[in-house]
Order: sequence, then C-alpha cells, then structure tokens
Amino acid sequence: MPSLSPDQIAFFSAGIAHQIGSVTPEGRPCLVRGLAADIEDDGRVVVLLSGASGFEVLEAIRATRWIALNMTSPATYRSMMLKGSDAVAAAAGASFRGLLETRHAAFRTNLIPLGFTLEYTSSWYSLPDEDIVAIRFTPTLAWNQTPGPGAGQALPLGG
Amino acid sequence: MADSALTLFGVRRMLEGVVPPTMVSVGEDGTPHTNYLSLAEYVDAEHLALSFQFFNQSRKNVLATRRIALSLDDPYTGAGVVLQAEYVRTETSGPVFERLRAKLAGVASHSGMEAVFVLRGADVFRVLEMRYVPGRKELPAALPRCDLAAGARAVSESLAACGDLGDLVDAMMCGLAEQLRIEHAMLWMLEPSCEAMTLLASHGYPERATGAELPLGDGLAGIAAREGVPVRIGHIAQMRIYGRAVRERASQLGLDPLCNAEIPLPGLAEPRSQMAVPLRAMGRVIGVLFVESEHNQFFGYDDEDALMLLCGQFAMSLDRLRAIGEAEAEVPAPVVPAQSGQALRVRRFSQDNSIFLNDDYLIKGVAGAIFWKLVRDYTREQRSEFTTRELRLAGTELRLPDLQDNLDVRLLLLQRRLAERDAPVRIEKTGRGRFRLCVACSLQLIDEMR
Repeated sequence: MPSLSPDQIAFFSAGIAHQIGSVTPEGRPCLVRGLAADIEDDGRVVVLLSGASGFEVLEAIRATRWIALNMTSPATYRSMMLKGSDAVAAAAGASFRGLLETRHAAFRTNLIPLGFTLEYTSSWYSLPDEDIVAIRFTPTLAWNQTPGPGAGQALPLGG
Repeated sequence: MADSALTLFGVRRMLEGVVPPTMVSVGEDGTPHTNYLSLAEYVDAEHLALSFQFFNQSRKNVLATRRIALSLDDPYTGAGVVLQAEYVRTETSGPVFERLRAKLAGVASHSGMEAVFVLRGADVFRVLEMRYVPGRKELPAALPRCDLAAGARAVSESLAACGDLGDLVDAMMCGLAEQLRIEHAMLWMLEPSCEAMTLLASHGYPERATGAELPLGDGLAGIAAREGVPVRIGHIAQMRIYGRAVRERASQLGLDPLCNAEIPLPGLAEPRSQMAVPLRAMGRVIGVLFVESEHNQFFGYDDEDALMLLCGQFAMSLDRLRAIGEAEAEVPAPVVPAQSGQALRVRRFSQDNSIFLNDDYLIKGVAGAIFWKLVRDYTREQRSEFTTRELRLAGTELRLPDLQDNLDVRLLLLQRRLAERDAPVRIEKTGRGRFRLCVACSLQLIDEMR
C-alpha cells in the first residue's frame, strides 16, 4: 500500500485549509470544506467535516467512493491534493473533538497575519459533536498544487 | 437542491479571493480533481470567468467534461456558497480577458512575478445552480463604510460645478476623502510619451510627491493605465504569500527592479487593499486614480462601479476644461518684478528638461520645459505675467509636439510642485488662461548640456 512521506504527514498539522471533492455516478462534481485531517495507523487518511455542510459530498462518496482532498497552507500557499477511490464515511462524534480543536487552533494562527479575526473560522468549526463526520480513504495519488511552474504534477507517495 | 433566492450578482464579492475559491472538476475517467483558483471574475448574472494560466489536470478536465463545482466563502460572515457551472468558451481578448489579465498583472506586481503570471485565456462558465452551505454559524455582515450612491452623487455635483482645472482636481480629491471615506488616493496623469505617468495630486500621505513618475505597467496604477481597465486587489497579504510560493518554484527567473525614482513614490507601507481606475475621455486613457487602504477588502465591486462613473466624469471635465482654458487670454503687459534675498540657481538639463533649484530636483519633462521658458522670459524680458496661449504657441520652440493636449495639466502640476517644495518661485493663476510667475529672489539660470 502506498504511504505518505514524513514531510507529507507533517503537513497535516501545519495549520492548513481542507477542501473535499467527490463526484456522483452521473459525473456531477461536488465539494465541501473539511475541518481537520490526520493519518491513521493503517496508513489511511481521515478527514473530518460537518455532516450538515457536506451532505452532497457524503452522498457522492457513498455512491462512488471517490475523494480528492486538497490541503493548502494559508501561510505559505503550499498545496497538495490526495486522491483515493475507497473512501468511506462514518459519524465520528466527540472522539475527534480534540483533533478538530488542535487543527482549528493551528489554522486560525495562520490566518491572523492575513487580517482575519479569531472568530472568523469559528463559523466553520462551531459544530455539535453529533454533526462531526469522518471520511477515511487510502491515498493512491498525490498532486503538487503549489502555484507556479510544476503545479498540477503528480507527487511520489512514500519515500 | 438549488437555492432560488441566490444570485451570482449577490455573491460576487465572494469571487474576490480573500478566501480563495475552490473548484472540483471531473476527468474523462470520472475521477474528481480539487484545486484552489488563482482568479475568478464576475461576468454577468449567469456567467463567471476563471483564469487559465497553466496547462494542468483541471484544465484538461474542464475541456473534457465541461462541468465544475465551485466553493465560495464570504470573507466577512463565513457563509459558504456552492455552485455548479458549465464551461462555455475561452476568451483571449475582450473586456473580460482584459480585466482578468490586469488583475493577474496586479497580483504579479505585488510579488515581482510578472514573467510567470501570464494569462492564456479567460475560461467563461455558465452557472447552472447555486446553494448556501448549511451547518455554518455565520457572523454578522460588516456595516457599509458609507452610502456609496449618495456619496458619489455629492462628488459628482462638486465636479460638475468646477470651471477650473485646479478646482476640479481638488473637488475630486476632497470628495473621495469626505464623501467616500477613502483616506489614501493619488491622481496620476499619463505623460505625452505614454511611457510613464506623473503624480498630479495625492492625499493621505506624509510625502510631498507631486511630480513623481511611475512607468506605464508598473504597480496597479501603471497596469490600469496600460490596460485601460480598473484593477482591484483586496487581500494583498495573501497575494504576497501566493507570489512567494510561485517565486520559490521559479527561482531561476530574475526580477526587474523598479525604476530609480527621482521623487520617491508615495504609498502605504503595508497596504491591504488597492484599486486603480483609469481616467478615460474620448476613447483615450489620460491618467489613473489610485486608492488604497490598510484594511482588507476595503474596496468592493460597488466602489469600483462608483469610481468608474466619477473617473469618467472627471476625465471628460478635465478634457473640456483644457479645451476652454484660454478663452479669456489676453496679451499681458511686461512688468518689473520685485526681487530680494539670495540668488536662486536654476539649472536645466536639456536632455530631459529636468530642473534643479540649487541642488534640489524639481521636475522634468514637459513641466520642466515650461518652467525653463517662464524663468528665461522672466529674466530676459523682465515680465511675470503669462498666458497659456503663448505657451501653446511656443510649443515648437520648446520642442514639445504634444503640448497642445497637456499644457494645462502640466502647468497645474508645476504650480503644485513649486508650492509643495515651498520654492521661492511660484505660479499664481490670475484668470482663465492667464497666470503670474511670482519670484521672491534673483535667479541665476544655468543651461546644462547632458
């Protein structure tokens, strides 16, 4: 199974923004903001989102299992996308509250120099435990999406 | 699923990129692809345009399956909108392309990456449906800074009441500050050579910079002049980071330093929002109004609309006032001026008509040539009363073929520069098309060849 490099794994905790994309069987694209991501012991990526916000993406994932997760640092514009074709979603509840808050704090810190207030991202992160959903998938492709020459090229996984 | 109350017009501020929009496209093989967008532009109630800069996977997908989803975030309230859109066409010329190209050049100017940020096309999409993102706890919307329509109307009325070029410039600058709450503004006029602009007026800066020059294409103002379209950036901090990311990936590309400015350029040390609006009259760009702020997203689409209208009126008025500038001109009688104090050394370098008062740079170009003629006539003929008509007729002598168009503005520029420098030589308007050279000391003229 391909795995992420230590540098790619470290990026998960770099105070980044997440966007989760998927597609329906009819080819309709959809997306929602993700809130936190991490790597699990089995090498799968787990990404958290609001179930209410992401209803369309969750429905698409249930049908096609495709996911394209973009992660971008507002502090550096470094951007990476991970793709998987085995995504599964499940209610996560309070067990992921800690990860959510840690990631939110790091993300918020990166946004302050850009002129955003501390409370700005709270509009995205103020969700009740019962609305926290986790999507798990095995990353099979990685793409460099940092702007400029080389953007859009596949990145090696592992190593 | 779509929200029928939502309109693209109603969410166009979300396209500004304060929170960068994100796109999902779908490949021919049915796989999704998620990426951030560099630039998005509102086109009309049903269409938006995205910048096409690089050939990459998302571009391939767009051409193959034509369908995208976009996620937009309100930079104030945190509200989200998701829309479905269909690729229609790629434009490589026309107003939408020009606006995107100018905006991209504006981004590049803040990151020194002009060589990398090349717009290949404006991909136009038709919006199929839109909906709000549920499950968010939205913040209250920001209060408007002022009533833009009422403020613009007041400025417009002030402009319409002006019968003099200087008054017109003052009315514009005061109106921006008092009616539209724009605290930092510069008025740049295009040089006859069309290669640079000269600062005619500014407010909100400690520097006295009238007469400063800006090459065409440099900075947001230079880009707006070159492209003839308004350019607005509301999140400069992000753009700098974006540019740094690109630069790190293209370190082999050198950066062109800005020209050596003889008069330092004014400007905020850390601007967060900037907008440049071209002054257009009779189908020509004659200058640019540049405004900036220390706040993010200070200028929106509505500000752009309002300033485009005011700048149009200002440019037309300026053109008109230039045309009637010498209606009351008469041949003046020579007078012997009073002189006192230490002699002022006035040096002219003929190559570019740059003028130095003692060792201090004053001005160059057309304004420099005018000044040299005035002080030369003053010392030779002992007169201080002049008319714009005689300056116009002296255009050949001054070797300034474009003087017809630019005399009044250059004269105003010279007048303001002298006042700003607290120079012992001043220009006073004495009537329509008439003015006086007020000299408080004796002059020593030195014509330097360079």
